[in-house]
This record gives sequence, C-alpha cells and structure tokens, in this order.
Amino acid sequence: MKAIVISLLLLFIYAGIGSAVTADMPDCAVDEGPCAKKIGAVEIVFDIKPKPVKAMRELSFSVTLKGTVTDRLILDLGMPGMYMGKNEVVLEKTADGIYTGKGVIPRCPSGKRLWRAKIINNGKTIAEFLFNVSS
Amino acid sequence: MFPLDSIYILMFTSGLLGGFGHCVGMCGPVVAAYSINLRERKYLPHLMYNLGRVATYSIIGGIMGLIGSFVGVAQSIERFQNITMVFIGALMVIMGLSVGGWLPFNKRIEQANRLSNLVITARKSLSGSGGIGVFFPMGLVLGFIPCGLVYTAFIAAAGAGASSVSHIEGILKGILMLFLFGIATTPSLLVLGRIVSIANTRWRNRFYRVSAVLMVIAGIIFIYRAL
Repeated sequence: MKAIVISLLLLFIYAGIGSAVTADMPDCAVDEGPCAKKIGAVEIVFDIKPKPVKAMRELSFSVTLKGTVTDRLILDLGMPGMYMGKNEVVLEKTADGIYTGKGVIPRCPSGKRLWRAKIINNGKTIAEFLFNVSS
Repeated sequence: MFPLDSIYILMFTSGLLGGFGHCVGMCGPVVAAYSINLRERKYLPHLMYNLGRVATYSIIGGIMGLIGSFVGVAQSIERFQNITMVFIGALMVIMGLSVGGWLPFNKRIEQANRLSNLVITARKSLSGSGGIGVFFPMGLVLGFIPCGLVYTAFIAAAGAGASSVSHIEGILKGILMLFLFGIATTPSLLVLGRIVSIANTRWRNRFYRVSAVLMVIAGIIFIYRAL
C-alpha cells in the first residue's frame, strides 16, 4: 500500500512539473484560417497548409509581412515546455511581403499538441504564434 | 563537408540538451526497468544498450539521408514503432507485476505455463544472467520507440540528404548526424541507469515495490500512447 502511495506521489510530482512549465495556451486557431498579429508598425500574418494542420506530414508555411522588408525569414518550430530539438524552416520571399517554405512538425508521443512558431528576422524574433496540431 | 560543419555540432548539442529532459522522460522507464534487475555489473549493460539504440538511430539517419524525405520513411516505420511500444509496454506491465510479487513468476515451478516461463526468461535476460549480449539487441529494438526529439533529428538528416550532391553523401551525412545525436543522449540515460541500480542495492525492499508500481504505470502509458 505504501509503495502504491509513494509511486502515485512521484507520478503526480512528475506530471505537475510538466504542467507547471507548460502554462501556455494557443493564441492561433490555424486550422480555421491564417492568424494575424500587429507588433508596433509591423503586421504579421501566419498560415499553415493543408488544413487541418497535422503532424508527421509535409506542411507549407507562409508569413505575410506588412510594414517591413526583408529577404528571408526563419520559422523556428518548438513545443512550449518541452525541448524538441532545433526545427527551423527557411521562408523565402515568393512575392511582395510574402514568405513561404516547407517543413514538418513531428508528432510528440506524449500526446501534447501545442506548438510554438517563432518568426525570426535577421536573428531577432519578431512574433510568436501558439497553435494546436492534430496528430 | 564533415566535422567542421556546424550541423554536426548542432546535432550533438541537441542530443545533449534533450537527453536530460526529454530522453529521461521517454526512455527512462525502460532504462529503469532493466536497471532494477542488474546486480553487480556496472556500466557495461548500459553501454551495450545505448550502443544498440545509437546504431538504430544511425541506420535510420542514413536512410533519411539517402531518401531525402522524412515523411516517407517515417510513415513506413510508424507501424513497427507502434508495435514496439505496445510490446515493450506489455512487457513492462508484466515485469512490474512480477517484480512487485503480484504475479507468481518469481521462481520456476514444475509444470509452469508458457507465460510464466516467458516472464522468467525475460527477467533473467534483463538481469544479465543470460549474458551481456542481450542488451545490444534490446537497444537496437528499443531504438524504434517513437520520440519527438528523435523525429526532429531525422528531419534534419532528411534535409541534409535532400541537399546532398550524391546518395552516398546523403547516407554518410545522415549516419554521422544521428550517430552524434545518439551519442550525446547517452550520458543522461547512463546516469539514470546507475542511479536506479545503486538505489535498488541500497534500499532494495522499499525501492523494489515502488519501482514495480511505476513500471506497471509506465507500461500502461506506453501502450496507451501507441494505440
């Protein structure tokens, strides 16, 4: 009986630590359409296709920038609270203010589906989007 | 083309950073499960297990580098990965119940049934009674356990393969990248395995029961995640 109680306690502590670190909530319903944010004078629109956005398949990422000009962007994909390695997608300029690239979001066997996309311009993060991914 | 390229340093760093957080969480239950049965042996079983695991990563990395596509290769091994998870999960549940004394598989009995003999054989193998050699193939198989961190490494290998000028270059890049990544994840699991072995030696009675319960729970989680 004591062993079971200690085990459950260790399990709750382990789960609790994980939950405390991942207090983030999605701010982008990318399955329903593109997401937009305005940071100062710059408007950033982020989108992923095809929909619904699923892990373990090739995805097309696009970012539209209004209010600034650059040659390329980097999209850094990661999970809040869980280190998933470096997964960066290079977004090349395909039209005025539009940057696109292809990449893959890996499946996390833990069941967690919340991902963070950081949009990086010249080494500086200009916006972040938190969204859920279907497995 | 090779070691001076920063992608290799990145892969090694990724494995090192991911090891103590990610790997302990995902592979930790498996490492703990076989470590609890280890007696006087120290690092060799752990090294053999991790060598097997790294070999699997390297081979798949080479395939990713050859094909140049993560999705295609990942889809073709997904079923085997899920089967591996279910098998390992089931084995951990049975082993946990056995270690905790809740199943009568602790000693061979006359006219034992097939299941009890299987569990006893598995326990003996995992304790190293059958020889150190069992840990390498165990690592080879368990290297297929699906893991998001490893998937990211495979994505990088596929990307390197896609940008290679020849298939040979792609294969070699993929192998080297995953080898470095896998090696870097090893220290965390070595440390965990030793801690479990030492704790088991010092606090055998209490630790055994707690470990048994955790093993059962971990096994159930493995099966749930695979299905």
